[in-house]
Amino acid sequence: MSELRDLLGELTDDVDAVLLFAPSRSVYEECEGGDAPVVVVDAENDVGADNYVELPLEFTDIETRIRFALEGAREAGYVEETDEVVCALGAFGGDIDTVVRVRAGQFTQSGIYDLFVNSRAEPAVVRDVLDVAIELGKKGQKGKPVGALFGVGDAGKVMNKSRPLSYNPFEKSHVHVGDPIVNVMLKEFSRLDGAFVISDSGKIVSAYRYLEPSAEGVDIPKGLGARHMAAGAVTRDTNAVAVVLSESDGMVRAFKGGELVLELDPEEY
Amino acid sequence: MSIHESVARLVTNSRFLLAGFIFVVGLALGYLINRLTRRLLRALGLPDTVEGTAFERTLQGLGSSTVGVVAELIAFTIYLGAALAALEVARIVDTRAVLPFLSAFIPQVVIAALVVIAGLVIGDKAALVVGERLRGIKLPEVGIVPTLIKYSIFYIAALIALGQLGVATSALLVLLAAYVFGLVFLGGLAFKDLLAAGAAGVYILLNQPYGIGDEVRIGDHQGIVQEVDVFVTRVENDGQEYIIPNQRVFRGGVVRIRG
Repeated sequence: MSELRDLLGELTDDVDAVLLFAPSRSVYEECEGGDAPVVVVDAENDVGADNYVELPLEFTDIETRIRFALEGAREAGYVEETDEVVCALGAFGGDIDTVVRVRAGQFTQSGIYDLFVNSRAEPAVVRDVLDVAIELGKKGQKGKPVGALFGVGDAGKVMNKSRPLSYNPFEKSHVHVGDPIVNVMLKEFSRLDGAFVISDSGKIVSAYRYLEPSAEGVDIPKGLGARHMAAGAVTRDTNAVAVVLSESDGMVRAFKGGELVLELDPEEY
Repeated sequence: MSIHESVARLVTNSRFLLAGFIFVVGLALGYLINRLTRRLLRALGLPDTVEGTAFERTLQGLGSSTVGVVAELIAFTIYLGAALAALEVARIVDTRAVLPFLSAFIPQVVIAALVVIAGLVIGDKAALVVGERLRGIKLPEVGIVPTLIKYSIFYIAALIALGQLGVATSALLVLLAAYVFGLVFLGGLAFKDLLAAGAAGVYILLNQPYGIGDEVRIGDHQGIVQEVDVFVTRVENDGQEYIIPNQRVFRGGVVRIRG
């Protein structure tokens, strides 16, 4: 067993920071005593840590989770680009079972942290929209896969870069994403064509919008359809972010600044 | 004379028996009311409401609960009433001197006690709820607000209870009046603009004279409406976002620019 211990010791030697994902209080207090600064990454700061990165979604993909935490920690100045970082996280279920060593600059910035925290829309709104898209992707409309496009934030500009395909069902309503009934409504309206427009504070401004931004110079992976192209283009033309549920492959993708920043498989959530 | 006739006479004539009967009925009634009150308060959800308050916690330390205390208090009043009535009927002691006084005073004491309990519970609960709401605000000074609310409610409850007991409370009342006046006056002064904005905002939200995406001019700010809420309208133009209080929309009017 000593070889294993050595291996683990090698992994954890000379690190500049420790990222603890959803630690219990006892784990946090144990690590707090060490030399390297501890950063807690969790949905809520239950342990009352000084260095804390909020995790808006339980990313099931480990790489996405680490990426998000690293970008958040760099943004907050907890780690530098050249730092060696050890991440302790639970890959299978809640308790910490995995230790990963990475260099903070190893990943190119994907902007996934940026997507939540530095968008025009509030982080909670981006999260709620992703939740709705994931939910929609999981269940579909009456068992059939559906596609949907949500433009989130900078609603005034998005409205001016689009035109109505039909009457707006959300006219004079005050519905916000995250309201309990809203998932059902969005599910119903997702059979309509066009995009949903959501304001910075999460108000659903309109459905049935035909986005017409200029798609010039939008670089998204080949093979994605017109819906994704429209999403990429609208985020390049405005300060909105776009969340797309693909009808063909069922993936949820988020765009910002004309680029694909996040890809999630609804089945995993 | 048959037996049952003599029994009937004994019952109707004997004061002691009648007194005993009244007392037993009183006990039974008190017990029934006790059970009934407990069930009623539980059905009303009182245990959940008072959970976590200092009063409830103290009582639980003593092996009781708010529901229990209230029910016992009411039952105790009935027992006492029954005992007094029995004594009166039996004429063992001369109750004429104390009865009017007691019959007037006991309900007041009970009501005062109930008011005190209600005040303690409501004050604690209000402090808890407000504290919960304010937890998101990371400001140490904000902790004074729940405490202030708690003691205000305690004060009012104490005033009502003392008033029930017939204690002169006019000095305390003056203090309360001054406090409320200060609160209303200064609060009104402080929230004047917010109230005006809120009133205008309700109209704007209900009638939507302009919506998100419209180009408008409010005063000397022109741009695209990004957000409308109860208090402000956000208008953006070329990277500049104007946050305009809603009462200004009303006072100055809006120009909608249709292009």
